[in-house]
Amino acid sequence: MSSRPPFASHSSEPVRRAEVTIRLSEFEIPPMQDVLLVGKRAPIGPEAVRRMVDALTPEQYDIIYLDHEIFEAAVLKRSLLKFLPQEKFLPVILEEGMRVATENTVVKAQVNIVVQVNRAVDL
Amino acid sequence: MHKNPVTIGPFESVGRAAALMNQLKIGGLPVVEKGKLVGIITSRDVRYCHPNRLVADAMSRNVVTVSPECSFWEAKEIMESHGIERLVVVRDGRTVGIITKSRLYAEIGKHVDALTGLNRAEFLQHKAAELLQSGQEITIIFLDLDNFGTIDKEFGHVIGDEILQQVGKILKSVIAEGLDYLCRYAGDEFAVVTVRPLEEAKQLSWQMIKALAGASWPQGIHVTASAGVAGGRRSRVRGEPNGTHNVRDLINLASLASTKAKREKRPVVVAGWVELEEVG
Repeated sequence: MSSRPPFASHSSEPVRRAEVTIRLSEFEIPPMQDVLLVGKRAPIGPEAVRRMVDALTPEQYDIIYLDHEIFEAAVLKRSLLKFLPQEKFLPVILEEGMRVATENTVVKAQVNIVVQVNRAVDL
Repeated sequence: MHKNPVTIGPFESVGRAAALMNQLKIGGLPVVEKGKLVGIITSRDVRYCHPNRLVADAMSRNVVTVSPECSFWEAKEIMESHGIERLVVVRDGRTVGIITKSRLYAEIGKHVDALTGLNRAEFLQHKAAELLQSGQEITIIFLDLDNFGTIDKEFGHVIGDEILQQVGKILKSVIAEGLDYLCRYAGDEFAVVTVRPLEEAKQLSWQMIKALAGASWPQGIHVTASAGVAGGRRSRVRGEPNGTHNVRDLINLASLASTKAKREKRPVVVAGWVELEEVG
């Protein structure tokens, strides 16, 4: 009795292989950086964002509901507001956000604020 | 109202709300969290929202509510003033029902006289009670057509009905909206509750009588009417409310005055003024 399989491997038989590529990177928590601008018709709304940030990073973000043509709300990292008050910061971020966003999108923004101070001290 | 309406939680998806509305063929769901009403989501909200959204992100937070004791007419006024199609009925903060525009209008239709298009007697009683409760003095004008039975017998009910329709139109043209509320009380009887003072109401009843007498009627029939006028205001009497009247008594006083006017062949009889302890 032969131990060969009934059909011997044929030269045209495809060879299947798997290649596994793994890319590891840090998952940011929450999955946003400094600002999130929520479009009026975006797949998630401010309440969903509130639940996310409250669950993952409680008391670190403020949600500001807006009366705006594109955005329904802005989620701002509180620590940024120590550098720049909301009334100064929000118009800037909305103006720039409007250039890239539509009602259907949620836009995240990374914001760097550098405060320059020059002070004279009497010698 | 629809009792025990289907509700949805604020943290369910818009997609689920849409599916539920579609399945039940309804246009809106009260949003309830821990037994408390927190919003309402309608088919319109659903249409403009991504299905992944939370109901909390699509619902209207300002829900117009009414109590189960709210009258049809009050509900209609609230619905129309807010431009909405459904009212949530709430008792002690809990949702107990929902009133839709179509159902409300169908119900109100039962209280509208098909011949003249005027409200029926129930409306007069409701309006009178409502005005008294809001602290206003009211006057009832009860108007009865003269010899209408004879007109019906001599000219037939079709002509009789035409006359009743015309009477409704004429009386409607004489009254002022917001001051006077007209109804076809029964048969050939019409009634008005007005917030005008007694003397002014008396003048109004004269205007109504004159307008009817001066109009041209089918087949040259001469149509006249007799009116009874009675005014009242709500007062708080300590102890037993014996000797005081209610809205029905006031309407009755005006009705009896109109009978007296007819009997004495006077166009208008004023029954006078009464203090009303009970309303409704």
